[in-house]
Amino acid sequence: MNRRELIGGVAATAAVSLPTVLRSQQLFRLALTPVFLDNDAAVIERLRDALSTGMGRDVDLVQRRTYQEITGALLDGSVDAAWLCGYPFLQHRGQLSLLGVPVWRGQPRYQSYLITSAGDQATGLEDLRGGMHAFSDPDSNSGFLVTASDLARMGETPDSFFARTIFTWGHRNVVRAVAGGLVRSGSVDGYVWQALAAVEPGLVARTRIVSQSEWLGFPPFAARSDRMADPAVTTLQRALLEMDRMPAGRKALDLLFLDRIAEPDVRLFDGIAARMAELGQAG
Amino acid sequence: MRHGTISRIPITLRVAIAMGGLMIVLGMVASQQVLRSLSRLHDDRLREIARLHVEGLSVALGPLVLHKDVWEVYDTLDRARGASDGQRMLFTVVADDRNRVLAATDPLRAPVDSDATPFSKDASDLSALTASGDEPQVRVRAPLRVAERTVGQIVTEIDVGDLVAERRRVSFFLLLANAGATALLAFAGYILVARMLKPVTLLAQHMDNAGGAPSRIPEAEIPKSDTELARLLRTFNTMTGAIDARAEAEKRLAERERFVSLGRLSSSLAHEINNPLGGLLNSVDTIRTYANRPEVVQKSVALLERGLVHLKDVSRAILDENRLDRAGVPLRRTDFDDLKLLFEPEAARKRQHLDWQVRADGADLSSLPAAPVRQIVLNLLLNASAAAPEGGWIGLSVAPRDGGIELSITDDGRGLSAQDLDRLMSSAPVAPGGGVGLRLVHDLVTGLNGRIRHDRDGGRTSVIVFLPSAEAV
Repeated sequence: MNRRELIGGVAATAAVSLPTVLRSQQLFRLALTPVFLDNDAAVIERLRDALSTGMGRDVDLVQRRTYQEITGALLDGSVDAAWLCGYPFLQHRGQLSLLGVPVWRGQPRYQSYLITSAGDQATGLEDLRGGMHAFSDPDSNSGFLVTASDLARMGETPDSFFARTIFTWGHRNVVRAVAGGLVRSGSVDGYVWQALAAVEPGLVARTRIVSQSEWLGFPPFAARSDRMADPAVTTLQRALLEMDRMPAGRKALDLLFLDRIAEPDVRLFDGIAARMAELGQAG
Repeated sequence: MRHGTISRIPITLRVAIAMGGLMIVLGMVASQQVLRSLSRLHDDRLREIARLHVEGLSVALGPLVLHKDVWEVYDTLDRARGASDGQRMLFTVVADDRNRVLAATDPLRAPVDSDATPFSKDASDLSALTASGDEPQVRVRAPLRVAERTVGQIVTEIDVGDLVAERRRVSFFLLLANAGATALLAFAGYILVARMLKPVTLLAQHMDNAGGAPSRIPEAEIPKSDTELARLLRTFNTMTGAIDARAEAEKRLAERERFVSLGRLSSSLAHEINNPLGGLLNSVDTIRTYANRPEVVQKSVALLERGLVHLKDVSRAILDENRLDRAGVPLRRTDFDDLKLLFEPEAARKRQHLDWQVRADGADLSSLPAAPVRQIVLNLLLNASAAAPEGGWIGLSVAPRDGGIELSITDDGRGLSAQDLDRLMSSAPVAPGGGVGLRLVHDLVTGLNGRIRHDRDGGRTSVIVFLPSAEAV
């Protein structure tokens, strides 16, 4: 054992809190869009533990304010992979490939909810005309595209239909804006709303679902197509698909209210693609 | 009358009340000062709280307001409120440069894009912020500045309920303590003043002790320390002595009056004795000359005897009038005979007609003492004789009446002067100059529980004295 190996061994032994070794390898960066309870540090911690264990290397979870920043980071190689929304995935369909799709309540799909405050009498989107509306992110499927495409079918745009629209940069913030009375209605991820109902029932109870969209493809894990053969990426994919069979992974999935991560099937996102087409955007 | 009511309160109490009043004023002024300091302290504290709160928010909100980012403004306010949950910030509204609402902690109360004037118009600036009102919350406004440019304003409602409650509590206890201290000082003042004014109270007590007459203050009760008041009390004692001496002198003067009335009769009585003496001496000469003529001697001796008996009666009457040990001797009809004997020569001298009518018998008179009644009648007769003119008319009537006797002395003189009436009818002090005979009559009648009436009718003056019998009293 030479001197360098000795120092490395001592350093590794000292860093006992880290899940695994192989610290000499480059940090693996996984970006997260605010599709889930991004404010919960415990969830982030568990997910990182699970992936680090699964991949056998240290994983850095990268968070940004907007979807656009995340997508940009993925495309320019600043991050190795990302948990994206189906909408930006389809926007950059040519450059990105799927790694896996989370299964929620038995299927890899979710819905977009149109919500109002609990006391509001609205029964559909039409009733919300002239009010203030909160979107999550202009690149979010459930938090923007669904409602925008519904309005397009009615021959309206968000700006013409609502008195004012705001972006809250997070689904939980949409619920807060509606619950607090800042806006009359909001477009929110149905999965996030349901998860919040379990962890923050007081907040969610102040809102009410006005309408639910059709079932659409759940936000997937994706990587740049040209890096799909990269050993790090394939290791991540294997770790994702095996998460539900690992104790650390199971814990993380439970906190995320997910069943498992399934093999990807790009046809899951046909519904989103159809809505994009209605907005006049190519898939 | 109010003045009368106040002046009826004892001076010790009045001074104590005045002292208590001063203490209350002092307490109020002191309380006011403390409350003002407290209020200033609270205002400073409130201003500091508001300044920190508003300045902290201003720094965070400035750029967001500049970009009119509704969500970020709301998110910042919402998180600030969450961080200060249960603390002072009740409600905050942020408006843009046109005073339109960008966001508020309670969007239902201040919807986005609504006019923020209702919130900002009665809000005070940070420097003018005060918690002096009774409102449990105050509203403060501050401009939002980015790079020296005002981009909007922030209006915040701050909970000052605890400060208001604290001030109310402190005020209550302060006033309570002050009231207690004032009461204590007023009480101490009362004790002190009462002690200091004790000689005055003593003086007031002795001033009208036991029915109007001032009484002497015992030397032992005069404080030795306070020279000023001690001098006052000694002067009072001296004055009391002077009043006593004067009363004593008046009494002695009245005693003398008995001799004075006899003195006034002395000249008449001298004639009364002298006149028969000539006849008696003649009888003696006749007896000596006609010693051998038994019928002449017999006649002269009879004449001599009659004259001597008269002289004996006169001298006995004078002696009776002068005797000092007549107390307890009851009044008899013969007393009036004696008086007639004594007074008749005086009336005769002035050729005044005397109408003498004694209709009371021994039973009517015996319950009354002889000496004072004789003095009363003699004084009134002398007074009537003096008042009646030469050759005038004087009447005496003694008659039983209502279980006593009524003496009526009448003359046809000019009547009694106002001064004489005063002496006769009232107990008021005797004015100097003039005799005390009538006053003596008044005092004697009063002593016998009698009444004096004065009557002037048809040129005649009557003084009517009613004396109840001793049994009837």
